Amino acid sequence: MSTTQSALDLAEPTPVRWRQYAVTVGRILLALLLLAGWKVGADVAGPLYAADPVKVARRIIEDTASGTLLRHIYVTLRLATIGFAIGCGFGVVLPFLLRRLPRLTAAVEPYIMASVGVPKYALVPLFILWFGIDDAPKLWLVGLLVFYPVFIAVFAGIRNVDRRLINMARVVGASEAAISREVVWNSLLPFFFASLRIALPRAISAAIIAEFLVGNEGLGFLIENSRQNFDTTGVFAGVVVSTAVVLVINGVLVRLDRYFNAWRPVDRDMDI
Amino acid sequence: MPDRKPVESSDPAELRPEARPGARLEARPELRPDLPQAPRRARFDRALVFVALVAIWIGLATVLGTYWVGSPWGVALRLGSGVWGDLWQALAFVLGPTWSDSAVGGMTRPVNLGLQGQLQGQILVHASYTLFEAVAGFLLGAIPAATLPFLLRRLPIATAVIDPFMVGGYGAPKLALAPLFILWFGIGIASKIALVAITVFFIVYFSALAGVRALDARLVQMAQVAGASERSVARHIVFPGAVPYIFTGLRIAMPYSIGGAVIAELISANRGLGYLIQLGAMNFDTTGVFVALVATTCIVFLGNWSVDTLERWLLRWRPPADTKAEVGS
Amino acid sequence: MTAAAEPLLEVRDLGKRFAGRAGRDAPAWVIQGLSFSVNEGEFLTIIGPSGSGKTTLLNMIAQIDVASSGMVRFQSQPAPIGDPKALNPGLTCKIGYVTQEDNLLPWRTTLQNVLFPLKVQGRLNDETRAHAETLIKAVGLAGFEKHYPHELSGGMRKRASLIRTLVYDPPVILMDEPFGPLDAQTRVQLQEDLLRLWNLGRKTIIFVTHDIGEAIALGDRTLVLSRAPARVAGEHVITIPRPRDIRGIMGHPDFGTLYQSIRAQVQ
Ligand SMILES: Nc1ncnc2c1ncn2[C@@H]1O[C@H](COP(=O)(O)OP(=O)(O)OP(=O)(O)O)[C@@H](O)[C@H]1O
Ligand SMILES: [Mg+2]
Repeated sequence: MSTTQSALDLAEPTPVRWRQYAVTVGRILLALLLLAGWKVGADVAGPLYAADPVKVARRIIEDTASGTLLRHIYVTLRLATIGFAIGCGFGVVLPFLLRRLPRLTAAVEPYIMASVGVPKYALVPLFILWFGIDDAPKLWLVGLLVFYPVFIAVFAGIRNVDRRLINMARVVGASEAAISREVVWNSLLPFFFASLRIALPRAISAAIIAEFLVGNEGLGFLIENSRQNFDTTGVFAGVVVSTAVVLVINGVLVRLDRYFNAWRPVDRDMDI
Repeated sequence: MPDRKPVESSDPAELRPEARPGARLEARPELRPDLPQAPRRARFDRALVFVALVAIWIGLATVLGTYWVGSPWGVALRLGSGVWGDLWQALAFVLGPTWSDSAVGGMTRPVNLGLQGQLQGQILVHASYTLFEAVAGFLLGAIPAATLPFLLRRLPIATAVIDPFMVGGYGAPKLALAPLFILWFGIGIASKIALVAITVFFIVYFSALAGVRALDARLVQMAQVAGASERSVARHIVFPGAVPYIFTGLRIAMPYSIGGAVIAELISANRGLGYLIQLGAMNFDTTGVFVALVATTCIVFLGNWSVDTLERWLLRWRPPADTKAEVGS
Repeated sequence: MTAAAEPLLEVRDLGKRFAGRAGRDAPAWVIQGLSFSVNEGEFLTIIGPSGSGKTTLLNMIAQIDVASSGMVRFQSQPAPIGDPKALNPGLTCKIGYVTQEDNLLPWRTTLQNVLFPLKVQGRLNDETRAHAETLIKAVGLAGFEKHYPHELSGGMRKRASLIRTLVYDPPVILMDEPFGPLDAQTRVQLQEDLLRLWNLGRKTIIFVTHDIGEAIALGDRTLVLSRAPARVAGEHVITIPRPRDIRGIMGHPDFGTLYQSIRAQVQ
């Protein structure tokens, strides 16, 4: 905090006790401040625009107790999971197939990369037109949104496998299958996880957004339906729960990533 | 690859050339760009794939009918007529009766050309709404997000305090907030701008923060030793160094800004491309949906292209090989 | 070392060139007209300026890269020329290769890396595992078995990659500057160990180095390569009798003359 500090302090915090306390206290204060701001905002803006946090909390508890909220969460997570599995499956398998067909890869690659730019959400009305109003259009959306990051990461990962490691494995007598399993797959894993960390939360928000547009169950439906009925507390409750679900999954992913990729030099190589 | 050179060495110095890291790079074919495998053939293959894709599109449109898949020429015709209708109106607005009453103007009047239907002369108008929402939201989100890390550069504790909240905001499904924004700001463009801004904000904040953090400490020290003031350090060293990072964030955020605007329009709107898509879908006008989708995609490409161009211009000083250094997207 | 009728490895008129980059530069010959042979049980050292093609040569002998012209014969079997698909890397575990970079698998610990060849060859059992642990101790990596490569120093990684090859006991070993990034103490230690090992099993070793002293101290014979395109610039039989005392080798009367004549050719 003194004037002699440079930007470096951000990277290497000095382990001074009182600083850590200050940070913790500051975080708690800020959280309280935000809550208070919400409360005041709700009081000022009126119940039509902003729901009182206490009411929102009560609503969440009530709906949890009655089971409806859990049902909505279940529906959304189910949709996200299935869509995720489909998108992820294609995203992993396709690059492995393309690896065998370099000529085809070179020919289709620019088109695949260009199709990344197509706004996927905007396709939902088309999906509804084509596939009806059941799960199919929603699965298409979630699947597509998951497919792209996974495909791009795995594709790049396969391309970047260190040839020298493959050669080394061959020299010591590894079979092709062993090389795929040991060298290619492990080299790929960090890329794959990086893409999962993008794709999994995205699957959930895609499911929610798809539910805004079609269907009569799920968190997205809960939020949008409440909005149409001017039930602001319902909107807030749905948003809070959705955010919490995504953040929890984010947290779990961070842990998993750290666990599986313990061999990686954490941050040491990342910092320049 | 750490370059640990042996301290001792009984070998003659001439056998240890200085340029070893470079030599090592040279010996790694996998670090080189793909070998040029007959670029002609690759171009031919690509053209072939393009033809195949168009053929599939035509095949689907013919076999399934235009109710399911808009035909390429139908889409092109509608798109062209829509754009022409807009242009005609614009000319009529600017030139007044000189244009609309002139012989040419009369002949090319959309109605006289037989251009009818939902989309007559409305593409550019709707596209400009979406574009405006995206650009306004983008600026509204990106400017504070890019500035904040610089303000916080000297306040590590404040940075640490807000960090979990920022991480939460980054991870939260912002697009799922769309109904909330519609509730607050109505179904007009304000709600879309707000949604885009909040989406862009967190992405750019973290990329700018990474830029400030990755700053070469030696450069700062050198400048401080040379007597540079805090302000000029920020201005001449921290900022240029962070620009590439900020642009990485902008490039990632760009599709989100257009996507955010379109999603909010899909949910509830009375104008914009998202609205056009919904309108087409509700009228079972598949060709109309296709037209609006094509227009949306064009805007995304336009946005990406602008960010790339701006970046290339701002980063003229960088060696070209580096421009691909990305944090990941 | 009375030579058998047929040398174990024969390199004749070998040529190698890489594809020119992006079609701009014409492909340049890295190696051209290189000929030599190695007998069974021989310790051959190769020395040459950086970029002269030593690594490329070893890659072709180990069959992880393909020769452009000429001939490489191992146990009378010729290696494919110009057809990378026909390569047989490591010649079914007959040739071990300690590469210039350590090429440790970054997701495996030291021990797991050392055991990797045994595992893929299906030879992992208590006996081989014990042998691996002995080797780990011998090179001073005890206590680092559970470390990942990025947690080891450059020299430690080098030693790990060395014993990864020793552990499966291939009859021929290629070594590309294996002791480069080591401190003088460890280096001499490992040189002695290597000689002891070689004496025991009479492996055939082809050893690339930048260090003239090392080339003399270890080898039966030293080849000097010229600058690119590489060919044999000189060949020296090291007359210093074995067993050799590495620490005192500089004191040997033949050392100085050998050193001077090799040095003169190495330019
Ligand atoms: N894959 C490749 N493609 C093109 N050129 C290559 C390739 N590998 C090596 N070369 C070139 O071949 C020459 C010899 O390289 P090599 O790695 O064999 O040298 P070296 O003698 O082992 O050098 P050092 O002592 O530095 O290890 C160099 O000029 C290098 O640039
Ligand atoms: Mg080499």
